[in-house]
Amino acid sequence: MNLKDTFWLSYTDLTEKKVRTILTIFMVVIGVAAIVALVSLTTGISYEITNELASLGPTSILISATQSAGFTPADTAAIASLPNASTVIPIATGSGTLFSGNQNSSVTVIGIAQENLKYIMGGNVSLYEGSVYNDTIAPDAVIGYDVAFPSTASGRQVAFVGQPATLKIPNGRSTNSYTIPIQGIAKTYTSALIPIDTAVIMSMPAAESLLHKTSFNEILLQAKNSSGVTPLTNLIADIYGSRARVINTQQLASTAANITGSITLLLVVIAGISLMVAAVGIMNIMLMSVMEKTHEIGIMKSLGFKNRDVLGVFLLQALLIGIIGGIIGIIVGTGASYSLAAISSSASHSNTTSTSSPPNGFAGGGGGGGFAGGGRGGGRGAVFVGRSPTSSGSSPGISFSPVVSPGLIAEALFVAVFVSVLAGIYPAWKASKMQPIDALRQL
Amino acid sequence: MPKSRPEHHGNEYSVRLDNVSKIYKSGEVEVRALEHISFSLKRGEFAAIVGPSGSGKSTLMNILGTIDKPSHGEVYIDGVATSGMNGNELAEFRNRELGFVFQAFNLIPGINAEENVELPLMVNSAPEEERKRRADELLTRLGIGHRLKNNPTQLSGGEQQRVAVARALVNNPALILADEPTGNLDTKSGEEVIKLLGSISKSGNVTIVMVTHNPDTTKFCDKIIYIKDGKMEKQEVLK
Ligand SMILES: Nc1ncnc2c1ncn2[C@@H]1O[C@H](COP(=O)(O)OP(=O)(O)OP(=O)(O)O)[C@@H](O)[C@H]1O
Ligand SMILES: [Mg+2]
Repeated sequence: MNLKDTFWLSYTDLTEKKVRTILTIFMVVIGVAAIVALVSLTTGISYEITNELASLGPTSILISATQSAGFTPADTAAIASLPNASTVIPIATGSGTLFSGNQNSSVTVIGIAQENLKYIMGGNVSLYEGSVYNDTIAPDAVIGYDVAFPSTASGRQVAFVGQPATLKIPNGRSTNSYTIPIQGIAKTYTSALIPIDTAVIMSMPAAESLLHKTSFNEILLQAKNSSGVTPLTNLIADIYGSRARVINTQQLASTAANITGSITLLLVVIAGISLMVAAVGIMNIMLMSVMEKTHEIGIMKSLGFKNRDVLGVFLLQALLIGIIGGIIGIIVGTGASYSLAAISSSASHSNTTSTSSPPNGFAGGGGGGGFAGGGRGGGRGAVFVGRSPTSSGSSPGISFSPVVSPGLIAEALFVAVFVSVLAGIYPAWKASKMQPIDALRQL
Repeated sequence: MPKSRPEHHGNEYSVRLDNVSKIYKSGEVEVRALEHISFSLKRGEFAAIVGPSGSGKSTLMNILGTIDKPSHGEVYIDGVATSGMNGNELAEFRNRELGFVFQAFNLIPGINAEENVELPLMVNSAPEEERKRRADELLTRLGIGHRLKNNPTQLSGGEQQRVAVARALVNNPALILADEPTGNLDTKSGEEVIKLLGSISKSGNVTIVMVTHNPDTTKFCDKIIYIKDGKMEKQEVLK
């Protein structure tokens, strides 16, 4: 029998029991859709994380003071003299609330020398509007994009270049109020360590004065090359001990990769289980079909159809179920993953807007808080994705697009076909091995 | 594609049974369904097998049709011993040499009359137009050319049996085996099917073996083989 006729017989048989066939295909669809959705989502998330980390460069090391004493120029000089150390950038950080128009935003106050801005802004300083500040004591500021266009104002601009805004900074029990001339508005930056979008950035002397600091609490260090990052990180951690937290983007990247890797594995195992259930279902349904068809198989064999013809008809049915289920599953899974991503990013949006309570530092709670203080105080996982210095307990949202690669599509289709055909082998074999006389006797 | 029988099959006998026995064993119980059956049929002969219920007629037909194996003895069809063949060879053999007409019609319900008749031609991948042409021609000759596209469930018993006869004929077999072909038909349709088999027998060199209960249906037959309790009682040559 040729392939065309085998196909015809398989197809006729499948369409004879439409509901059953649709349900069988549906089982494959669920399994494949789950795999496609989960893999594309986690791939999308890890791409996003990798991108955010990459914006800091692979050689970045962030040293955060854990004590209020902070760092002095003596520290920067010492660190600069360490082997492999290249650029040393002191940064002062603190938190405050910026009032502009009738809006207020929780902001991170960042003091950094104008020439060092490029190191925290992904290599080059690019402003949406205006210009950068001068390194004077004047609190001229560049504000983050989300500060100028807060989501609470539904994207409307509330802070303008050339206009002053009021920055309130807690100082002990009281709150100091400062008028800040806005010099420029930054474009949006996704950044792993430093939340540019929600920052008010000014010169180091200005920030130190506003934050009532005589020292700075962060040092962003660039290693000479990426292979030097780990030894340098370890060396600094040894020198400072509990006085500082040292973290580098490589660590973040590998932690992130570990986390997304194990999440992906877990999800794929779950999806795999649903495919296994599908396989058992297909086998079950095909065995039932073969039983019902016993008499017809007997007829076919009496007419001269060979074992391999019968085997072919049933295996092709399994193959068709796998292909159709696989294709529909890929479409459904892709759709599901894009909808989930859309829901997730709109959820993260509302997460940001819901926050207008006073900030308590970046990720690590109030006193001596640093950017990378995850795990301390009320610390959240904001190190990785912290885009807004929110204090709400919910995890910060992340906006990303799922990655449905041709490889994923091919794999999903292959898995669907493989699982279906595997499930079909036994029933098909059973059908093919029937003795014509025994099969004919079954009615 | 009317094909001529291969020359080496130019054997005198179309069917020859040599001391065929069939014993069913289920546990301790042994059923001797057939015992020492020997007979032969010439090419073109139309033989009836007659006997009471349970006498072994269907068992004999199944063995003749190579869908069952004798416990002892040998079946030669067109001069070929069937016992040495494996499943695939037997399937090939049935497809080429045999046509079945069953009491229960045994059509495939999910496909139409024409497609049912095409089935035996599919085994060897005959081209589709060729298949359809041959099926249509046969069905028209058997008087159901207007029912080509109907599924078996939409056909009367008599019509279904004609489809079955067409299917049995489509590969130009050497031997047609009909086990009570009129058993599920009313008298009139039954007679028509018998007449059909009679005319097929006359027009070609097809050997036909038919099981029947009804003595009236033997009027086109050349030979009647009487079976009782698995044994051949007698053989009656009519012409
Ligand atoms: N698979 C089987 N296992 C055991 N015994 C069987 C089997 N098939 C048939 N028999 C027995 O063999 C004997 C002959 O059966 P068979 O079907 O050949 O009779 P038959 O002449 O065709 O009867 P009927 O006219 O009722 O169709 C019966 O006694 C039957 O019970
Ligand atoms: Mg019988």
